[in-house]
Amino acid sequence: MRVLLAEDDELLGSGLRAGLRQHGFAVDWVRDGVAAERELLTGQHAVAVLDLGLPRQDGMDALAAVRAKGARTPVVVLTARDAIGARIQGLDSGADDYLVKPVDLGELAARLRALVRRAHGAADTRLTLGEVTLDPAARQVWRGDQPVVLSLREFDLLHAFMRQAGRVLTREQLEQQLYAWGSEVSSNAVEVHIHNLRRKLGGGLIETVRGVGYVARRPPT
Amino acid sequence: MAARPLSLTRRLMAMVLGFVLAAWLVTALVAWFTTEHELSELLDAHLAQTTALLLASELDVPVEDDARPAPVLLRKYQSRVAFQIWRDGRLRARSTDAPEEPLAPAGVQGLSEQRLAGKRWRVFTAEQADARGSAITVHVAEQLSARRHVLLASLRGTLLPLLLVLPLLAVGVGWTVRRALRPLHALGHRVAARSPRALDALPQDGVPAEVQPLVHALNGLLGRVAEQVAGERRFTADAAHELRTPIAAIRMQAQVAQGATQDEERRAALDATIAGCDRATRLVDQLLQLARLEADAVDTQPAAGRDIPTDLTAVAARLVRELSDAARARGQQIRLECPPRPVDVPMSAALTAVLLRNLLDNALRYGPDGGTVAVQLLPAQATHGVRLCVEDAGPGLSDADLARLGERFFRVLGSGQSGSGLGWSIVRRLARLHALQLHIDRSPALGGLRVTVDWPRA
Repeated sequence: MRVLLAEDDELLGSGLRAGLRQHGFAVDWVRDGVAAERELLTGQHAVAVLDLGLPRQDGMDALAAVRAKGARTPVVVLTARDAIGARIQGLDSGADDYLVKPVDLGELAARLRALVRRAHGAADTRLTLGEVTLDPAARQVWRGDQPVVLSLREFDLLHAFMRQAGRVLTREQLEQQLYAWGSEVSSNAVEVHIHNLRRKLGGGLIETVRGVGYVARRPPT
Repeated sequence: MAARPLSLTRRLMAMVLGFVLAAWLVTALVAWFTTEHELSELLDAHLAQTTALLLASELDVPVEDDARPAPVLLRKYQSRVAFQIWRDGRLRARSTDAPEEPLAPAGVQGLSEQRLAGKRWRVFTAEQADARGSAITVHVAEQLSARRHVLLASLRGTLLPLLLVLPLLAVGVGWTVRRALRPLHALGHRVAARSPRALDALPQDGVPAEVQPLVHALNGLLGRVAEQVAGERRFTADAAHELRTPIAAIRMQAQVAQGATQDEERRAALDATIAGCDRATRLVDQLLQLARLEADAVDTQPAAGRDIPTDLTAVAARLVRELSDAARARGQQIRLECPPRPVDVPMSAALTAVLLRNLLDNALRYGPDGGTVAVQLLPAQATHGVRLCVEDAGPGLSDADLARLGERFFRVLGSGQSGSGLGWSIVRRLARLHALQLHIDRSPALGGLRVTVDWPRA
C-alpha cells in the first residue's frame, strides 16, 4: 500500500518512513505543504499522513484545498497541536483521523489500515474473494483453510485487487499503487507478480482484460 | 511591629479640627483684649462720673452733718466698690465696706491703681475747695477682680457656645470625610473582589478625579501583567508543542530500531534516536536560557546592578576553541579577529557567552559544509562602544524571513537544519535587556548572513 507522508522534520520523517516500511507500506515523503497538496491531488496514494506545521503551506490549508477539489484520499493528521479546537478544525477540514505527537508506530499503521479499509466500504478487517482470504494487518493470505506464502509485492498486488474487486486496473495504476517514487520497476514486473499469484491461488482469481489491464471479479453468489 | 498605616480620615479630621480650634483661640484672644479695653474705658468713665457727682453733692452739704453711711445701692458688687469723702483731712463719708484710710495717697489725682488690704483697686480721685475754703477730696474705687469677673462672664456668653459646637463639628467633619472617601473604599473593594485571573482594566467612570491617576496607573500595570501572563502562557504552549516533535522522532526511531530486521537498519535508527535526544536536550537548554532571561526581565532593573565588565576577547576565544571541533567535523573553520588588548563590555561573562554561542551556533548550523565563519571584534568609532560581527557563508535570509527572525520558534524552512528557532529569540532578548543594537544584513565578504552587535559605551 502506498502512503503519502508530509513531514518537514528530518528526524521524524525518516523514522516514519522506515517504520511504515517495516509495516509493509510504500512511503512517498514530501517536506512541504505545496508538495503535499500536489501529491494528494494525484490520488495515487491509498492513505496520507499529514503534519500540520509545514513550510510553504500549512497542512490544514493543503487538506482543505484538496478536499475542495474533490480528492478523497484518507488523511491522518499527525501534529503537535493538541488543543481541542485544533482537533475539531482538523477533522472539519477533511481529516479522517487526528493523532497528536508522539505516536506509536503500531497504532499509526493500524489506523492507516483501518482508514484504507473503510475507504473501500469494508468493515471487516479481512478481505475475502472466492476461496481466497487476505488479512492486511497480519499480512497473511489463505486459500480455503491453507495459508499461502506470498512475497511482499505479491501480497500488495493481491491486496490492491481485492480492495478494488470488480474494477479493471491498468498496469500503470497497479504500479502507482505498489511502488514508491524511485523504486526500480522493470517493465514486466506486474505481469510476473500476477503470474505468480495465479500459480499460488488458482488461475480464475485474476482475469486479463485484453488491451486494458486486469480485474479480480467477485464470483456470482 | 509594623508602622500603623496613615489614615486619611484621621489626618483630615485632625487637620480640620486643629484649624477650627486655632481659629477659635485667636478669636477668643482678640475678643478678650477688645472687650477688656472697652470695658475699662466704660467703667473708668463711670468712676469719674460718680466721683464728680459725689463731689458736687458734698459741696452743697452743711458742715454739721457728720460722717454717715451711704445708702445701700449695690448688692452683688457692694463689697467690690467703695467711695470716701474727705473734708480737710477728715473722713466725712464712706461706703459700707470702704476702708478707713484713704483709698489713694494724698496728691494723686484722677485715675490710679492702688493696693489696699491685699486687694487691687481702680481709684478715681477728685479734689476741690468749697465755698468756705475747706478742701474736699472724693475717692471712688472699684476692685479690679470685679472687672475681670464681668469680663469673664461676657466672654463666657460669647465663647461657650463655640466650645459646645466643637464636638458636633468633629462628628460632622468625620462623617463628611468618610463620605468623601467612600469612592476610594468602593474601588478598594472592587480590586479586592477581583479574581487573580481578571486582568482587564478597571472602569474609570464614577472614580473621583483625585483617584483617576491611581486607577490609570493600576490599569497600566494590569495591562503589563496581562501581557506578561499571555506571553508566558504562549511560551509554555509553544515550548510543549516544540518538544513534541523531537520526542515523537525519538519514539519513532526507537520503534524502528525495535522492529528492524537488519543490523544496518537498526544502527541507523539508533543513531537517529541519539540525534533526536541531542536535539531535545539542546531545545531544553535553550528553553531554560530563555526562561531565565524572561525571569530577569521581570526584575525591574536586571542589567544595571549585576553587570560586571567582561572581556569579550577572552569569551570569544574560549567559545571559538570550544566550537572548533564540531566545526571541523563538517569541514568548517572559525576565523577570529580581535584586538590584542582586552575589550570590556558591560555584561556578565555568562550572558556574553550565551549571546556569542547562539550567534556562532547559528552561523555554523546554517553555513555550508567547508564554509568559513568569521568573528570580528572591533571598537565602534561612532558610539565609542564595542562592535561584534559574526558572518557566515550560508544562504542568508530573504526579506520576509529577516522580518520574522527572532519570533520564538521561527526557523528558516527548507534549510534542512533541525534548529529550534530559539537561538534568535535568546539573542534578541539579551539585546533588549542590555540595550544592544542588533543589525542583520548580507555579509559582503562571505555572502551569507552578517550579524552585527553594538554594545553601548561601557
